Amino acid sequence: MRSLSSSWRPLLLPAAVLFAGSWTAVASAGESAQAQSEPAPPALAFGQSVDGVSDEDLPYIYTEWENYTVEDGLPNDHLFSVRATAEAVWIGTENGLARLDKKTGAIQSWKEEDGLPWRAITSIDVDPKTGDVWLGLFGGGVARFSGGRFDHFHQLNSGLVNDVVYGVAVENNHIWAATTAGASRYDLVTGKWDIYTEKNAPMEEIWNYSVSYAPTVNKVFLAIWGSGCLEFDVATEKWKDYIDPDKEMEIDLYRDDGIIHVITTAASFADGALWVSAYFGCCRYDGRHWRGFYAHETGLPSDFTNFLKARSADEAWFCTDKGVGVVAHYPTDTYVAYYRNADNPGGVAKVFRRGRLLREVPLEISIAHNFIIGVDFDGDDVWVATAHGLSHGIGKGYYRGVKRLTQEPQSIAAASSASADSK
Amino acid sequence: MRFIMITVWVLVVSAGLIAHEKQVRGDEPAQSPQSGPSDFGVPVEPSMKPVLDAVLSIRDPYHVPQLPLRVDQNYGHTPRDLEPFGYVAPFKRHFMVQMEYTGPGRAIPEPEHVDTVKIGFLGPIESTVSVATGGKSHEENIGKMMLKGAQLAVEKANEQGGYHRRKVPFELIVRNDNGLWGASGNEIIHLAYKEQVWAIVGTIDGANSHIAIRVALKAEVPMVNTGDTDPTFIETNIPWVFRVISDDRRQCYLLVDYIFRKVGIQKLGIIRASNRYGRFGVRELRDGSRRLGKPVPLEMAYFVGQSDFSLELQRLKDAGVEAVAHWGDAEDGARILNQMREMGMKQPFFACDRCLGPEFAEIAGNNAEGVVCASPWNPDRDDPRLKEFRERFTKRFGVEPDTYAAHAFDGTEMLIWAIQVAGLNRAKIRDVLAYRNEPWQGVVGKTQFTAALDGREEVFLAIREGQQWRYYSREELNIPSGEIEKYTDHLHTVPSELTQVQQP
Repeated sequence: MRSLSSSWRPLLLPAAVLFAGSWTAVASAGESAQAQSEPAPPALAFGQSVDGVSDEDLPYIYTEWENYTVEDGLPNDHLFSVRATAEAVWIGTENGLARLDKKTGAIQSWKEEDGLPWRAITSIDVDPKTGDVWLGLFGGGVARFSGGRFDHFHQLNSGLVNDVVYGVAVENNHIWAATTAGASRYDLVTGKWDIYTEKNAPMEEIWNYSVSYAPTVNKVFLAIWGSGCLEFDVATEKWKDYIDPDKEMEIDLYRDDGIIHVITTAASFADGALWVSAYFGCCRYDGRHWRGFYAHETGLPSDFTNFLKARSADEAWFCTDKGVGVVAHYPTDTYVAYYRNADNPGGVAKVFRRGRLLREVPLEISIAHNFIIGVDFDGDDVWVATAHGLSHGIGKGYYRGVKRLTQEPQSIAAASSASADSK
Repeated sequence: MRFIMITVWVLVVSAGLIAHEKQVRGDEPAQSPQSGPSDFGVPVEPSMKPVLDAVLSIRDPYHVPQLPLRVDQNYGHTPRDLEPFGYVAPFKRHFMVQMEYTGPGRAIPEPEHVDTVKIGFLGPIESTVSVATGGKSHEENIGKMMLKGAQLAVEKANEQGGYHRRKVPFELIVRNDNGLWGASGNEIIHLAYKEQVWAIVGTIDGANSHIAIRVALKAEVPMVNTGDTDPTFIETNIPWVFRVISDDRRQCYLLVDYIFRKVGIQKLGIIRASNRYGRFGVRELRDGSRRLGKPVPLEMAYFVGQSDFSLELQRLKDAGVEAVAHWGDAEDGARILNQMREMGMKQPFFACDRCLGPEFAEIAGNNAEGVVCASPWNPDRDDPRLKEFRERFTKRFGVEPDTYAAHAFDGTEMLIWAIQVAGLNRAKIRDVLAYRNEPWQGVVGKTQFTAALDGREEVFLAIREGQQWRYYSREELNIPSGEIEKYTDHLHTVPSELTQVQQP
């Protein structure tokens, strides 16, 4: 096993050199840079061991992005949600629904005049059995889009507890809606509605903010503003709550003692790990240990996280107000942050390990905007809903975790070269 | 050349600082409401010029104002010995750095045509049944006064020419917020998307306020709260939300200092409303007493509108409390006080600011003598601005303004100023409020936002003496306080190029 000190030594590469250089050049420049007065690497303090991991062990970096706006056919640039399926990508905006055909690239859109029951779509899920598209409407209830027709469920014609819907999720034969006054569950077979509030669920507050379903464990996860995260076991109909142990709004007493704040924005479960976001940072729970993630110690763009989605137990994407943050490989404390430049469509992907900048990869085309609101995975690709357009990260050659690369990955070399040309 | 420029810059900055210091010290009367040249038809302080230059110059969706962020050194002006978890330094302190809005909203062009400039009002103004507020609604008397304050501010602005850039009047779009099943959320969505208001004032109840601000965040509409004293209202990290009334945290700290440090009470009993206002209102009072080593032996909750409090009071009596603190509405507080005295309980009675309402004194009569309430402002202040407001309000509505009317007036005036200066763009309206670097001179006094965009105003104690409330500052009553620590351990979490440390 490589010793800690030797494994940290290559991390001392100055960012400016990394930004400009090719893979080979960076390595050689890094050798000479070690003699300079770089600060010592921080002591290992959090997370799991990174023994045996060096600078050459890098996560996959999305270097190829394409963006869509109203000029490409979106009904509105202010996106609230995105959901990818095998054939299409569904996009919920502040004023209309859109469907991007993955094969043809054509975008079709619907507004209120086209039958969409309400303009703002905060959440989308697709029923894997029927292909029906379920929409959470921000102030308009829930809609089902099927066969070219919208069916509208709201407070006055159904058991939906409130029309201000922040999240929808398909769970077996049920549709869940996270509303501002509790959660509702609609049984597609019987037509029965269940309502979950403080009366029958451990909700200190009833302000539901997000809902997701994890089929592998047959559980529903609710992120609740003021009530942390709730887990609903579908089989037993039992609830389990995760709340901030210090119970104080103005502090996080200990980072890894539980959910970092009681106001949560999303919860996503994958491969045995639960990831939870908040406007104060994010956290992860593996069933035994919690780990909190703050921007100042990880390299993530910001603590203000609108949404998150887990790709695995080791990888999750955070939608922050200052860029896309990715826990690219949890065991090695490795992060990637994607930013867009203010003056041009380019940007940068920054790789961090344990808060130290390892590498900056210039992007000729980056994400559409830095205010990120939603994300979904599509095989190796990723779709990002921003406050000013949709972004498609093309994951050509995507790999999980980190890899020790012996030569400059083609995609990174191409991105660096294109960026240099554009300058 | 460079020397001359630097010299001129130093002189300008020094002059500004000296003028500001004089104003803060009270050597010179504050101008109304602000002084300085302006192209916007309203006064703008010179110190706001760089803010306006940075905000108003943004035309595209990608840039954000490159302005210093306010960084506080203490949250909520909390004494060291009243902080949670004793002397354990937390891993992270929240709300110490000013919240930013980094979205594309500043690029949204102004509408070509407007007939009026709409401002939403959200508050409890109609009697209803509300799950969120714990049964039958009970805050309409407060909500209606709040509405009157907002109306008066709009009318005053319209008398002075309305929205100057377009020569159109301001219009208040009024919505009730205490309906069933979180109706406040639906109402604010209606205001944001149907009525297309530029900003919203109002909300009192903590539950409805929380519902509303989540919508404000998503719909990106500024919201100036003028009546919700729930401490958690602002503890949500929403960059679109402002509050101009001192919260129950500040009020509780003053009560804690008075009750325990000044008077020397050892056993305080609490009786409070069984709703969010009562539950969260007393939290710092209860926690503060424990942190000072004098834990509250008993906290009793009652249903709003309950008439018989004998069970709750007997429990408090049996617990041997030396004083009773009440957190709830004025009518309930007065009935509790009367029943206490009927039961022979002679303990001092402390209460929240809602008990300063006229209903309390009317119902309690002579029992009200000696009652001590927290107050978010001092309405007895000798201030020509307050005097003019009181006269204008009384003439317009035939009643004296109260706490909620005064704060609504200030909040709405502040918002109108922001609209006049920023133009018809919600994000820029938000910006000029968030980056406002001078205290707002209003009828309730000076309001300066903290990093959490919470009004940093002085709180007072009101004591019922000779059939009227008399207001006292901490200094006037010589109330001791714990040490207010100036923290720096959070500064490493802040991007240094965009921060500006403020004194607590």
